Amino acid sequence: MDQLLQLTISGLAVGMVYALIGLGFVLIWKSSSVANLALGQIVLLSSWFTYGMLVQLNLPTLLGFLLVIIFALALGWVIERIALRPLIGQPILSLIAVTLGVGYFFEGLVTFVWPANSAALPRIFPTKPVQVGSAVISQEYIWIAGISLVIFLLLTAFFRYHRLGVAMRASADDQMAVQACGIPVTKVFSMSWMFSCTVAAVGGVLLSSIGMIAHGLVATGLKSFSVVILGGMDSFGGAMIAGPIIGLAESIGGGYLSAYVSGVTDIIPFVIIIIVMMIKPYGLFGETRIERI
Amino acid sequence: MLKLNNVEVTYLNVIRVLHGVSLSVPDGAIVALLGANGAGKSTTLKAISGLLRIEEGQVTDGSIEWDGERIDKKGAEAVGKMGIVQALEGRRVFEHLQTEENLMVGAFNRHDNYIKQDLEMVYEYFPRLKALRRNIAGYLSGGEQQMLVIGRAMMAKPNLMMLDEPSLGLAPLMVEEIYSIIKRFNTDQKTSVLLVEQNVRVALSIATNGYVMENGRVVLDGTADFLSNNEDVKEFYMGLSAMGTKKSYREVKHYKRRKRWL
Ligand SMILES: Nc1ncnc2c1ncn2[C@@H]1O[C@H](COP(=O)(O)OP(=O)(O)OP(=O)(O)O)[C@@H](O)[C@H]1O
Ligand SMILES: [Mg+2]
Repeated sequence: MDQLLQLTISGLAVGMVYALIGLGFVLIWKSSSVANLALGQIVLLSSWFTYGMLVQLNLPTLLGFLLVIIFALALGWVIERIALRPLIGQPILSLIAVTLGVGYFFEGLVTFVWPANSAALPRIFPTKPVQVGSAVISQEYIWIAGISLVIFLLLTAFFRYHRLGVAMRASADDQMAVQACGIPVTKVFSMSWMFSCTVAAVGGVLLSSIGMIAHGLVATGLKSFSVVILGGMDSFGGAMIAGPIIGLAESIGGGYLSAYVSGVTDIIPFVIIIIVMMIKPYGLFGETRIERI
Repeated sequence: MLKLNNVEVTYLNVIRVLHGVSLSVPDGAIVALLGANGAGKSTTLKAISGLLRIEEGQVTDGSIEWDGERIDKKGAEAVGKMGIVQALEGRRVFEHLQTEENLMVGAFNRHDNYIKQDLEMVYEYFPRLKALRRNIAGYLSGGEQQMLVIGRAMMAKPNLMMLDEPSLGLAPLMVEEIYSIIKRFNTDQKTSVLLVEQNVRVALSIATNGYVMENGRVVLDGTADFLSNNEDVKEFYMGLSAMGTKKSYREVKHYKRRKRWL
C-alpha cells in the first residue's frame, strides 16, 4: 500500500515534468506546425549547462539558474534564426528534418564539452522526507510538480490574455492573415522557440535535480512526445493531463512489472498512445480541424 | 493619400501580373477596384500592403506612395504601422480564436489607450459580433465571418482600409448590410477605403470613384456615376453578375489557394 502511494506520487510528479517539457513541443507546433524533434537534446544540453554553472563554475544557485534561463532563451533565438528562418517557405518536412539535425548537433556538442557519461547536480530542493498519508516521500517531488504547474499556469495565462500570446495562436491558424494585421510572424516564431527551449531547460533541471544528468535525458524528449500525442499536439491543458497519466503508468507499471518483464517501463507510454490514437486521433484534447461546408 | 504610379508586379521573378497600374485613393474617399477574375486586383492590394513578398512576388517597376513616402520597398509590418491594413479575400478569420480575440489581433500594433473604446465601436457597427464575442470564429456563419474580418481591420484604426471582395459568397441582404456599414465607417471615421469587388453594382453604390482592371492594366476609370452609366461596364460586369452565371463559377473558385508560409 505504501509502495503504491509512493509510486503514485513520484509518478505524478515526474509526469508533470514530462508535461512541462511537452509544452516545449506544443508551443512550436501551435505557432508554426513544426515538430520540434530536438526537444530531448535541448533538455540534455541545458541540464549539462546547469551542471557547468552550478558545479564546474560553482556559482550561487540563483545566479546559476538565471544564467540557465538566459542560455535557454538565447538557444531558442539562435535555433530559430540560424536553422529555421532561412527555410521559411520550404516544405514543412525540411523544417522538421532541420530540427532533427539540430538535435544531433547538440548531442555531439554535449559529448564534446562534457565527455563524462553522467553527473549529478547539487540538491536544489529540500530533501527532508514528508509524510503523505501512510507513505513517506521525498519533498523534492512536490517541489518539481509545483514548479511545473506554476509554469504551466503562467504560460496558459500568457496565451490566453497577452497580445503576443494571442497573436501566436492566431499565426497557427493563418500566417498570412496575421501578417495582414501587421504582425511580424518571424517574431512570433522566434518567441515560440525561446519559450520552448526555456520550458525544456527548466524541465531538464527539475529532472536532473532528482536524478542524474545522463544521456537518458534525451529519452525524456521522446516521453514528452508521447505526452503531447496523448494530450493533443496543440493543447496545453491536454499535455498537463496526459503528462501525469504517462508518468503514473510508467512508475506504477514499471514498479510492479519490471521484476517480471525487463524494460517494460519504456514501452508503457507507447502502448497507451496506440490505444488512445485508435479512439481519438487528435489526442484527448487536441483541436479538431474546423471544416465548414 | 495613396498613389500608385505605373506599378509592375512580377511573381517568382518571371510571371508578370501587373503591367503598369496607376491609381490613387484621396483621403477619406472610397475607391472601387473592379475587374474580372485574374485581372490582378488582389495582387494590387498585396503590392500596397507589402504582403506580396510572402508569395514571392515583387514590385519590379513603378512606385507606391503613401502621403508622398515610398512604401513599395517596405515589408508588411512597416506598412501596417503606417495605418494601411488589408482584409484578405476569402474571410480569413483565425478559426480557433474567439470572436473578440480575433478583433484584438487586429489591434496588435497599437499602443494607445483607445483600444477598448474601439472594440465597443466595432460592436456598435456589428452588434451581431458582440453577441458572438465568446464564440469560436471558425463556427460563425459566412456573413458573420466577413463582419469579423472587416471589424478586425477596423481595430487597427487604419488610415487606409483595403477590403478584398467583402461580398463574396454572401446573400444579397447581408451584402447590403455590410456595405452600408463600410460606408458609415468611412463617413464617421474619415478612413479611406480601397475596395476590390466583383459585385460592381454594390461597390459603385458606395464608392466615390473606381478603376476597372483587365489583364494587369487599368482599362477604365472615373467617378462612380460615370462608371455605372458606362455601356461597357454595364454589359460586361453588371450584366454578368445579374445573370448569375459568373457568380456560381466564383463560388467554386473560392479557393484555399493560399500558400502556407511555413
Ligand atoms: N503567388 C502567385 N504566383 C504566381 N502567380 C500568381 C500568384 N498570385 C496570383 N497570381 C496570378 O496573378 C494573376 C492575378 O491574380 P489576382 O489574384 O491578383 O487576381 P484577382 O483580380 O484578384 O482575381 P479574383 O477576382 O479571381 O480574385 C492571376 O493570373 C494569377 O494566376
Ligand atoms: Mg482576388
